[in-house]
Amino acid sequence: MKRTMTLNLTEAEMNAVEQMCEQKGLSKTALVRQSLRLYKSLDDRLSLGDKVFIESADRAEKAELMVL
Amino acid sequence: MKELVDKVFLLNRNIGEFETAELFHGIDETNLSHIEGRWRPLFELRRAQAKASGESMSDINAEDGHWNWGRKALAAISNPFLYDIFALECGGNTQALLLTCKGSTDCFSRHPEHPKADMVYVEFLATAPWNRPRLVKEPTYKGAGRVLIGTAASLSIEEELGGRIGLHSLPGAEDFYREAIGMTDLGVDKDGPHKGLRYFELPESRVSDFLAIQH
Repeated sequence: MKRTMTLNLTEAEMNAVEQMCEQKGLSKTALVRQSLRLYKSLDDRLSLGDKVFIESADRAEKAELMVL
Repeated sequence: MKELVDKVFLLNRNIGEFETAELFHGIDETNLSHIEGRWRPLFELRRAQAKASGESMSDINAEDGHWNWGRKALAAISNPFLYDIFALECGGNTQALLLTCKGSTDCFSRHPEHPKADMVYVEFLATAPWNRPRLVKEPTYKGAGRVLIGTAASLSIEEELGGRIGLHSLPGAEDFYREAIGMTDLGVDKDGPHKGLRYFELPESRVSDFLAIQH
């Protein structure tokens, strides 16, 4: 069963959503779903005490990802 | 816990007639008991015969015979955000199983038609050993693997991902994905967790044609 929700976003936030949808070829619903999966996956790992790192393309830099 | 999601048809090659099969979202102890009590003994028998005759597991299409579906089911059930598991039942038996993922590094397309687009990734797909042409002389049901590939594509549509799916194939199943399903062969992974396995995708442009010829 699916449920419906209304989001109140600022102009900038909505622009970001629409830009991402355009770039990724996703509907707003699909974008929110994928974002939620990513957020929850990261949060689950962080809850276990794991750390998440982002490595630069040339592998010269590695920084810990901050999750709000 | 499992839920009936659809009824489909499988061709029973022994009698030349289609039979109604039930597609479930989720699997239960009955499915797992079929795998342990019915699938595994046949895999073991053929494995021993192949070893004696010098055939490889790829030759007899049994490379996945060791997969632990109980562990896979547990992973799927404990993380429904990312995983879905499906069982296809017909004739009182589990005929095929599918495990898909909706969110991982494997869930980005490599297809030139839509690079980096989100998609559903087929983690594991297996048909019962008695349905495999190279594993048994007279396979029983035809179409179980195709139904589950269609299920993955349908899930991708349901998730608003355009029906796009991707998977890494074991060597013995490459012809099936390339020829029978018509997926795009995007070559063998040179490194990473799937190193040495050939990667296939069903691009968005072919989804409707593929689903149109489902039973």
